[in-house]
Amino acid sequence: MSRQDHIREFAAKALEEGRVDYFIGWKQGHNSSEAIPAFVKDPAEVDQLVWTPLCANNLVTFIKRNMPEPAGAKVGLCVKGCDSRTLVALLQEELVDREKLYVVGVPCDGIVDRRKLEKMFSSEIVAIEFPEKGKVVVTTRAGETKELAQKDVELMACGVCRYPNPLYSNDTAGPLETEPDREVVKPDWSALEQYENLPDDAKQALLERIYATCIRCFACINVCPVCFCWDKCVNRSRQPELVSQKVEPKENLLFQMVHMFHVAGRCPSCMACDRACPVEIPLGMLHAKMNKEIYDMFGFEPGTKLDEKPVFQVFDLKDHFGD
Amino acid sequence: MADTTTTTQASGAAQGAAPGSTGAPAVGKPADRPVKVIGIVCNWCSYAGADTAGVGRFRQPANLRLIRVPCTGRIDPLFALKAFQAGADGVLISGCHPGDCHYSEGNYYARRKFELLERMIHHLGIPEERFKWTWVSASEGQRWQKVVTEFVAGVEKLGPREGRAL
Repeated sequence: MSRQDHIREFAAKALEEGRVDYFIGWKQGHNSSEAIPAFVKDPAEVDQLVWTPLCANNLVTFIKRNMPEPAGAKVGLCVKGCDSRTLVALLQEELVDREKLYVVGVPCDGIVDRRKLEKMFSSEIVAIEFPEKGKVVVTTRAGETKELAQKDVELMACGVCRYPNPLYSNDTAGPLETEPDREVVKPDWSALEQYENLPDDAKQALLERIYATCIRCFACINVCPVCFCWDKCVNRSRQPELVSQKVEPKENLLFQMVHMFHVAGRCPSCMACDRACPVEIPLGMLHAKMNKEIYDMFGFEPGTKLDEKPVFQVFDLKDHFGD
Repeated sequence: MADTTTTTQASGAAQGAAPGSTGAPAVGKPADRPVKVIGIVCNWCSYAGADTAGVGRFRQPANLRLIRVPCTGRIDPLFALKAFQAGADGVLISGCHPGDCHYSEGNYYARRKFELLERMIHHLGIPEERFKWTWVSASEGQRWQKVVTEFVAGVEKLGPREGRAL
């Protein structure tokens, strides 16, 4: 039985037994290279749920801070390994009620980067198939068919993933994926090195160029499963005014730093912000750097242990920072 | 009435800008001006420490503008970033020594945040001489003088900042 069948079965059962009011999974989007979130209320409709390496969306976004509509609804949802870390981060701070959740964990062996794929072809992609594990077959409007290795087109975050299996779930869709030995395989931040080795002036020039394009659409903030102040967001506040409506790289970068600092210790670098950005700002790199430093300072990986508190909510007398 | 107020303000602004300046502050080119350093200090220790330094007549650089907050735990890392964004040449954060917080534990939380802030500030390409966080108690007027003098000297060495991003 495929993982997809497992998801459908779990969803149908939970809906039939009334354990959940609705179930959130993924379905095929209008565009062949996209899987989109699906909200299923009727057990007869579970057939629309899919599981493919295109299911990039982090569905925890829909339940952040007890926000499911209607209030108090019991919700079922699917989580991948990285998504489960955001869920654990929310549970650590008691921002979601686990009694009202039914979580189906989906072990994941990598998600395809839709944008990378689309950029590889000049013509529109009309079909993407996954004939076997690790293979992607793309057909374009021009009639071209090409077989690719999934490893070559997967998301950057998947290449360095150490948590392919969900860390918190009520049921698991199919057998677990093989995990790296986390004692041996430490987090990999080599993608940051190129930037880190730049001189200060070059860093500033690069940031200026990158952040000039930000249109402050709030997609990164809205899609972030662990950024949840909504209308109380200081980015939207005019009194006090931290970020003004002025359009310039400085303001845009400050806007991003607000997001970054507010999710520090909670963000597991699921890279949802990176994927949501319409102007393709590499936001994930900022968060990756933050996580690198947090790991360096505390040896802490956000969202990995249910009984842990995020590092910035607690302190230790034995910390020795500063002088 | 409204007209008068506007006129007064406008002429006031013009007069204020007149001596020794060419009008609008220079943007994008090296400004020949004294550096501006923002100090964010806690009410109970570092602000009082600065006061002690003042009462003791210790000579200090005049480039520092102090912002007094109740506790270092109140200091949002974004305060420092906002200061840089708004054109500060350096930011100095100071509070009570660990163990001496007026609110018992504010600075224990704060030091975790400041450490991350410091590392992220360097990641953004702001040289480390432009940001410092430290502890100065109310009785340490001498130490306050030393911290401020050294920090401002470091910032002055780099000169006024022309931040391109933040």
